[in-house]
Amino acid sequence: MIWRIGIFLWIAATMAVALLVAPLVPVLQETTRVLYFHIPSAWITVVALGWSMLNSVLYLWRRDLRRDDHAAAAAELGFLFCIAATVTGSIWAKSMWGSWWNWDPRETSIFFVLLIYGAYLALRGSIEGEEKRARLSAVYSIIAFVAVPPLIFVVPRIYSTLHPDPIINTSGKIDMDPMIRWCFFSMLVGFTFLFSWLQSLRVRVFRLERRLAA
Amino acid sequence: MPNAASSSAATVWAILRKECRSEWRTRYGLNAAVLFAVTSLTAVTFSAGRMPDRPDLLAALLWITLLFAALASMSHAFVREMESRTLLLLRLVASPTEIALGKLLFNIAFLLVVEAITVPLFLVLTGAPPVRLTQFLTILGLGTLSLAASSTLVGAVIAQTRSRGALFAGVSLPLLLPVLASGVAGTRAQWDGMPILADVRLLAAYAVALLGVSLLLYDHLWED
Repeated sequence: MIWRIGIFLWIAATMAVALLVAPLVPVLQETTRVLYFHIPSAWITVVALGWSMLNSVLYLWRRDLRRDDHAAAAAELGFLFCIAATVTGSIWAKSMWGSWWNWDPRETSIFFVLLIYGAYLALRGSIEGEEKRARLSAVYSIIAFVAVPPLIFVVPRIYSTLHPDPIINTSGKIDMDPMIRWCFFSMLVGFTFLFSWLQSLRVRVFRLERRLAA
Repeated sequence: MPNAASSSAATVWAILRKECRSEWRTRYGLNAAVLFAVTSLTAVTFSAGRMPDRPDLLAALLWITLLFAALASMSHAFVREMESRTLLLLRLVASPTEIALGKLLFNIAFLLVVEAITVPLFLVLTGAPPVRLTQFLTILGLGTLSLAASSTLVGAVIAQTRSRGALFAGVSLPLLLPVLASGVAGTRAQWDGMPILADVRLLAAYAVALLGVSLLLYDHLWED
């Protein structure tokens, strides 16, 4: 309970400062504000999918169904945050690039990640027997994660993209104002706690469902 | 140890031969794949017409045709074992990794046969400009490797689910989208006379990663 209120206050306060006080980046202008939602969502996507992969490995190693709960919950949440990153990115693209969807390498790769984890969830749904489901989903989750680093980190480096990378691209065209940086990192922390809270909830639901079925 | 390694190589070889022989007996999978590939090729080239001056479209259509032909047929290596209930017997004589490696080699050979028929036909029917052979074959070969690696692993997983056929393409395709993207980019670049190194690197890295991770995962495919 205290966690929930804490996370809520943290994100709300950051949002207020980010939207009301923080200055705008000259090139991005008003669209600067999407940065506080878009990048943390993308960050959580990678964290969640990495967590899912890690737990899949642990499941295959230890055969503990609680690991599978974590893997499945993280994949679901990763999928959700991936949708959030895609949608906020698309809204941003509409106002900066003039179209909702342009097949820029960034857009392409996030869409591929979305499809891969959609496939993971579809696969999970079609396997009977929880041990078997856990094992085969873990196999797919690990092979699926092979695609994530190249898509997220390599593709945008190889193919020319119009996507601004103020964080990773340190030689950057855009210098981050200290105020923006504070809000951004604060949002990143807020989102990370939000994810860990949602994750613990989902895992608890899985556990209760299993107890109910037994 | 060299004894164990050579005996497991022999097992893999035996499984490859068994696959080839049972495929050759009915030729049902190969016929279906080639028929599907040629039919979709006809549909594509007929409706789009000849386009010798559009390498961008040619590259896209070539890869889509190849991908669809592969996905329409490549799950059958494992599904066949499930349907004829022979997997248990196979597992008595070989380890999961040996079985999967045998199937992987078979899938590569299978794809090469399908491509040997489809690709020249595609080039002729669309009136494509001459390819730069080394570059073209490198891209095609690396794409084939990724395609076979992912189809083998996903095929083995899918064979154990409820809706085998329907799910295979849906679950495989997302994994192959990076291959499609860099394959198309590389093929277009070789027609345009541009450098293909970046695409080849990406394709190679992806193929190696898929193969490497598959090798680690094969042991967990079956249990009971």
